[in-house]
Amino acid sequence: MFRFRLAPLRAAVILAVGFVVLRVGYRVLFGGASGSGLLLLDLPRVALAGPFSQVGLLGPVTAGGLANAALSALPVAALILVFGVLNAVVDVSRLFARGAGRGPLRTVSRALVIAWATFPALLDSVRRVRVAGRLRGERSIRALLVPVFEQTIERSLALAASMETRGFAAAQVVDGVGERPVVMTDAALRFGDPRETVPVDGPDEGQEAGQTAGQADWHLAHLNLELAPGTLTVIIGATGSGKTSLLHSLSGLFQHFIEGSQAGRIIVGGVDRAATPPRDTAGFVGVVSQNVRLSFVAETVRDEIGFALAVRGVAAVIVHQRVREIAGRLGIEHLLDRGVQALSAGEASLIAIGAALVCRPILLLVDEPLADLDAPARLRVCRLLERLAHESGVCVVVAEHNTREWAAAADAWLELRGNRAHLLGAGFGTGAGEGPGFARARPRRAGSPLDDAPAAAGTRARPSAPVAPLVSIRHLSVRRGTAVVVDDVSLEIAAGDIIALEGPNGAGKSSLLEALALPAAGGSVFVSGRDVAALRPPERRAAVALVPEHVDDLLFATTVAEECRRTDRARHRTPVAVAVQPTAARFAALLGLDVASARHLLVRHPRDLSAGERLCLVIAIQLSAAPSVLLVDEPTRGLDPEARALVGTALLRASGTASAVVFATHDRDFARDLATRTISMNAARIVSGPLVGAP
Amino acid sequence: MIHAGGRWTAGILVGGSVLAAAGFAWPLFAAAVPRDAQAAVPIVAFALVPALVVALALTLDREMYTAKTVALLGVLSAVGAAVRIAGTGVGGVEAVFILLVLAGRAYGARFGFLLGLLTIAVSSMLWGGFGPWTPFQMFACGWVGAGAGLLPRVGRAGTRTNPASRLAARLEIALLAGYGIVASYLFGLVMNLWFWPFAVGGGTGISYVADAPLGGNIASFTLYTLVTSTLTWDTVRAVTTAVGIVLVGPAALSALGRARLRGAKRRSTSPGGGGTRTHPSTVQGAAATPPTRPRPSAPA
Repeated sequence: MFRFRLAPLRAAVILAVGFVVLRVGYRVLFGGASGSGLLLLDLPRVALAGPFSQVGLLGPVTAGGLANAALSALPVAALILVFGVLNAVVDVSRLFARGAGRGPLRTVSRALVIAWATFPALLDSVRRVRVAGRLRGERSIRALLVPVFEQTIERSLALAASMETRGFAAAQVVDGVGERPVVMTDAALRFGDPRETVPVDGPDEGQEAGQTAGQADWHLAHLNLELAPGTLTVIIGATGSGKTSLLHSLSGLFQHFIEGSQAGRIIVGGVDRAATPPRDTAGFVGVVSQNVRLSFVAETVRDEIGFALAVRGVAAVIVHQRVREIAGRLGIEHLLDRGVQALSAGEASLIAIGAALVCRPILLLVDEPLADLDAPARLRVCRLLERLAHESGVCVVVAEHNTREWAAAADAWLELRGNRAHLLGAGFGTGAGEGPGFARARPRRAGSPLDDAPAAAGTRARPSAPVAPLVSIRHLSVRRGTAVVVDDVSLEIAAGDIIALEGPNGAGKSSLLEALALPAAGGSVFVSGRDVAALRPPERRAAVALVPEHVDDLLFATTVAEECRRTDRARHRTPVAVAVQPTAARFAALLGLDVASARHLLVRHPRDLSAGERLCLVIAIQLSAAPSVLLVDEPTRGLDPEARALVGTALLRASGTASAVVFATHDRDFARDLATRTISMNAARIVSGPLVGAP
Repeated sequence: MIHAGGRWTAGILVGGSVLAAAGFAWPLFAAAVPRDAQAAVPIVAFALVPALVVALALTLDREMYTAKTVALLGVLSAVGAAVRIAGTGVGGVEAVFILLVLAGRAYGARFGFLLGLLTIAVSSMLWGGFGPWTPFQMFACGWVGAGAGLLPRVGRAGTRTNPASRLAARLEIALLAGYGIVASYLFGLVMNLWFWPFAVGGGTGISYVADAPLGGNIASFTLYTLVTSTLTWDTVRAVTTAVGIVLVGPAALSALGRARLRGAKRRSTSPGGGGTRTHPSTVQGAAATPPTRPRPSAPA
């Protein structure tokens, strides 16, 4: 409530002084500075004409007149100062935080709390997009504003979904019965109103008709399903098969939040899902969304976990007690007073699960809980959800494409294939691999459709004898704040290398890659003998290109074709010696398509591409400068096996353009299949030396 | 989001705005009240405007109480406040109107009004700038957002053919940019109006004189506002806003359209069409959220 901040006071002083100066200025300019005392300036008086004939300009300026003017300004200046003191002492944001969730201004006060909590994420987003702009060589204001804005909108939708499923703005509290958590009877899901044959917002572009038709094609039908308490079911299926949609047909978000339509009957805890919005069933349906960090609505872990109870108007004492109880069960008591922004990925997942459990749900829905986590955190989350199902009797449903981790825990698998859901027994998944791998056959040496960099061709044949390394990293260290995130890394990369950089979350992989592409200081990163830090941006991009983890940060046009055109235009302005094919053609080639058959992708909004396609687009954009080294951060994050295969093949194809490829990954299998060499990082250092990989 | 009480709400919003406008224009009305009451006019205005802010916020609070609206309001006002604070160092390059105009256009006048209010509240909280001026800023920004929501629609969605829709999208951006220019100047004008008597004080050629004829005061004010901001800050702001809307407008409208609020007017916002993309959880790892997208699903 009360605290002291100097900044408002300083601002008020500046404002007050400015006010006095302005007042004096007006007096001088408009003939009010005459009076007793010493005559300072004898300016001629100028009379205006027309409607302003009453007004005279300038006139004599005297010391007394100036003093009078300054004195007359003092009352208002004093008022400004008083408010400065108040602002310095009173913490208004706490006032609003108290009102959030109840009272007649609950919309406004909750929105203010969200705004407050959004700032750190916003700053982070701006920082990342700035870096992405440098990586891409784009300095336009659009390249900064559009990605930040898109991310903001996505954040608000994720927030809204999370608030909705936790009972925000509920008109009534509906109780569920625990015996039959989920019963689906001949249910069907699709997008749009089934009575509408033509969407109201028809496609504007002719080519988009295909896309819309595709959307209309997606549906799930003949869903008959009954889930018992105390079971863990995993929904699996290819990207686009509708895992999330099926999950959210149980949470109600599908029917009530994203304008999907449902036929047949879906009964959740005895309640008709089609007729009951998620907010009314928050008391017995818990939801953990896909990107948990985006779904945090409070500032502290304690408020975050207690949110669902607080918005129901439960007394603070009881909320407090329940939050402690949940935290005890999850072993996260030590986190309760932390800010939600200061959590690791694994901790954030646990907090989100805790927040979903606070109302003691009979049904817990979890969307891709493992995508962001490293191996130990994955294990912890899996075990936790298994215990909730098998020991606490919750009906747990998980949508996931990582099947292996769930093999021991799952009681049933629900596979989405061909617009149907197929129920598989517990035995599935134990022997199943990660789906289709990609051909190990490497198109990277010759005959690649991307083999368009003749200048580099000589270096691409794998050298049998040691030659000068393509990249040499000498004692590279990176600090972020007080922490050392990359500690004295030295490494050499040869032409032809495909290197996998492995290590747990926070090991410094991303920081290392960023420092290779944008070194802060000279003397540490050399490509073909040239210091990267000393290169001008176009030359730097021709030496090293980085595809960052959040590829969306680089994209800002409204169609894929426009992104490609912009990239080509930018390249024509820069002196790249090598003739490079158009970006659109490269994008198509990375996907294994020719330009004509990729046309349906080019007219799309970049954000409507699948995650794998979008990554390929950004790789194509970053290859436009024909870099010697291509760096890719977490290329398989959140991808299903099919998309992983696509990206893996694309990386092999990219190694036809760039002489060496380095990618950071958590994904052991992906690394093994693709890399010629693996390097491990831990705690900011390289722990396994630059081994010579399998031939 | 128009409920049964929508007409009442509309009445309160319009009435409140008219009263607030009177509060802004108190220097022009003061001559009309009896001489002994004239000293009280500014005090009444200073009490009236904050009270109206609260009254209108209360009126809108009920109908805006849905998860999506609250989340969008919160996040967008954070963006607005950040833009506003980032702009303070850069000599009047006030980009916040870009956001207010685009959001007001996409989500309607009431949302735009509340967003204007909240943007000021959040930025004032951030840099500690609350004062008697805050309610006036809130109203003025609220009007900017609301005005964008009240602009007429361009073209008719649904019946448009290819080139026509592209033309309509361009027209829409042009309309919004034009509105941005007008709004920038009007904003400066009304903000100058209520503060003018305090800024100049007495004894100059452009001073406010309580018992002077209306024409004289208007002439003085015109000179004051020309010198103070119209020719400088307001012009910079108008240019910034128009350029910003042209640059980021299409992409931003399509992003806003994607998060379409239920019950808000359905419109296709750009040639890229935000119309059919409505998936909520499509965050960075959009891997498993593509139901809006056809993919050949090979059997795993």
